[in-house]
Amino acid sequence: MSSIPLPLRQLSAREARFFAAAADAAFPHGTTRDGPPLPSGTEAGVVAHLDGWLELLPRRNRTLIRLLIVFFEYATWVLPAPGRGGRRRFTALAPEQRVAVFEAWSGSRLRLRRLVFASLRMLLTSSYFASPAVLRATGLAPLAFATPVVEADLLYPPVGQARDAIRWRREDLSRPPLHAPLDPHGPLHPDYTEEGASTGERARAGESAGAGARG
Amino acid sequence: MRVFADYTGPVADRCDVVVVGSGPCGAVAAYELAAAGRDVVLLEEGPPFTPADFELDGARSMARTMREGGLRFTSGYVMPTMQAIALGGGSLVNSAICGRCPDFRLAEWAEAAALERTARSDLDPHYDAIAAFLGIAPTPDEVQGRRNLLFRDGCQALGWDNEPCARNVVGCRGSGECFTGCRARAKQSMDISYVPAAIRAGARVYTSVQVQRVLAAGRRAGGVEGRVAAPFTGAPGPSFRIEAKAVVLAAGVLATPLLLRRSGDLANRSKQVGENLQFHPGTSVMGVFPEPVEPVFGATQGYQSLHFLREGFKLETLWAPPGVLAVRLPGSGLELEQKLLDMRRAAVWDCIASCKRSRGRVRERGRSLQPAVHWRFHPDDARTLGRAVWALAQIFFAAGAERILPGVAGLPDELGSLEAARVLERQPPRAADLVVASTHAFGTTRMHGDPARGVVDEDLKAHDLDNLYVVDTGVFPGSPAVNPMFTGMALARRSALALAARI
Repeated sequence: MSSIPLPLRQLSAREARFFAAAADAAFPHGTTRDGPPLPSGTEAGVVAHLDGWLELLPRRNRTLIRLLIVFFEYATWVLPAPGRGGRRRFTALAPEQRVAVFEAWSGSRLRLRRLVFASLRMLLTSSYFASPAVLRATGLAPLAFATPVVEADLLYPPVGQARDAIRWRREDLSRPPLHAPLDPHGPLHPDYTEEGASTGERARAGESAGAGARG
Repeated sequence: MRVFADYTGPVADRCDVVVVGSGPCGAVAAYELAAAGRDVVLLEEGPPFTPADFELDGARSMARTMREGGLRFTSGYVMPTMQAIALGGGSLVNSAICGRCPDFRLAEWAEAAALERTARSDLDPHYDAIAAFLGIAPTPDEVQGRRNLLFRDGCQALGWDNEPCARNVVGCRGSGECFTGCRARAKQSMDISYVPAAIRAGARVYTSVQVQRVLAAGRRAGGVEGRVAAPFTGAPGPSFRIEAKAVVLAAGVLATPLLLRRSGDLANRSKQVGENLQFHPGTSVMGVFPEPVEPVFGATQGYQSLHFLREGFKLETLWAPPGVLAVRLPGSGLELEQKLLDMRRAAVWDCIASCKRSRGRVRERGRSLQPAVHWRFHPDDARTLGRAVWALAQIFFAAGAERILPGVAGLPDELGSLEAARVLERQPPRAADLVVASTHAFGTTRMHGDPARGVVDEDLKAHDLDNLYVVDTGVFPGSPAVNPMFTGMALARRSALALAARI
């Protein structure tokens, strides 16, 4: 399946297929009323992001998420999608049936059912918004600005590294500027510009995207 | 200062006071004790985060800075509940709101918990000292951004009290990144304020150490012991043991009671350790305006209204990583994508409720070191939160919103006028209708003048021991009505000064 990124570190091929189907049900390719078309879920790299994110979780939580996948994949056996073949597993449903399944879960009168769906939606949405292209298209990409060097930066190395990894010295100290609000229309954080797409890909593959440029 | 890479074998140390937990309360206590000349060791299970470690991606950020990857839920009434694991504790990833507990609430505490020295006039000197240290000040208009100022405008149109949030922030640039770590280094989180100050005053800080037991015999605590824990994975490393003349616990509302229970049910003659858990559950409403709001710019939580504080709820503005905020949007497919595009014209505001009738408890989860958190949402408190949703709706329409997304089950996804929104007034949402997150927590090691009914006294010393203190917000006998961090720090400062005078 071409929409599934390889290699996967945490997800099995079956789990990745589920997330790809779910991501495109939540965020299909198409045209919205206003604004530019948004990338679909798979175009936005939802599966790769989820794969990298799972790696950060404690084993117990990974197991719970795997159970969530199995649950949703086969829930249609009990709560079928509308239309012909609605009892097939989720990934075997037609795209419009998958959307209908989501609508049924999110609009359920049972809070527990809505909560279970909210858990899946949380995974899909947070991964969708990890995409720089999505953030740019929605106008929600973080802004660029310089990060000052403060006293604490002389004390702590990046997580997991030894203190000789501290790269700042006292002469590097700079005060956060006072009265310097950002320009809402100013330049974007470099990882979120079109040019920075490769950095964004790196971020979704599991490396830090948050540091930004200093100085 | 030690980080994970520094531990090559078992750790042993000795000091006057060992402080467990480097969140706002523990960091203040460690600094004040060290500044008073006491030999202090500050322990933190999480690592220090540098800007290079911050993740702008909300999911990855929570996975790295929160216990259980940010996926911890309560049972009873199911809702997410967060607990940070980082040097600086929750201050690294909170929105820095510093509110003083109002007089009326402290008077309620005094009556309910037989307190004699915890009136506002008793706490004000401590609030003042902390405010001066951290530069706590109202959020300036220049960094509010339109989504915060619209809230102000709506409140003003309704004649409701409103004010910029006072925050421990110096030089805010309005990046709205408080919840993922302040890249602007403007937020005075504990890791860049009180902890460095404690180090300057002589404190030794050990990060990536997990305290597993308080050492105690009779009425005396003798120190703590545990293991080094690798960042993020928690993989166990060498053992450590710190002997001390006094032990100060500031591990948080969910962790401190577990530590006491694991240490032979310490300080629990009252049987109140782990009981009386309270939260400020919160929910949010999104409003869409005719013109762009550009919500990516502005202080994370820059404005608030305390107009309904006595009725049990507080209203405030909110921003978070877009992927977190978008979770609450209704619909799927192209309809959902249209709503995502609307976010550029949207503001999100939230409400938190005091919930005086809702209670829970914290217990061990099997052999795990993580808590099992149980909490029940009292129907009266849920109705209060429902009234707060209606109040938010009124502010949105008074500010000129074209529609709101109330996020209430059983109602239309969008309400396009104040008249349409009156359904919230006529049929206040029930607990089951709301999407709720726990925000602040307190109560599990409560302060009480009567040793039979509380865990600690007014100096936050355990009733049952001569030299064990608990200084996190678990000591609150009830909701502080506003954000608890500042009051926790004030109480911790008073406690630390009392302890410094005793040893």
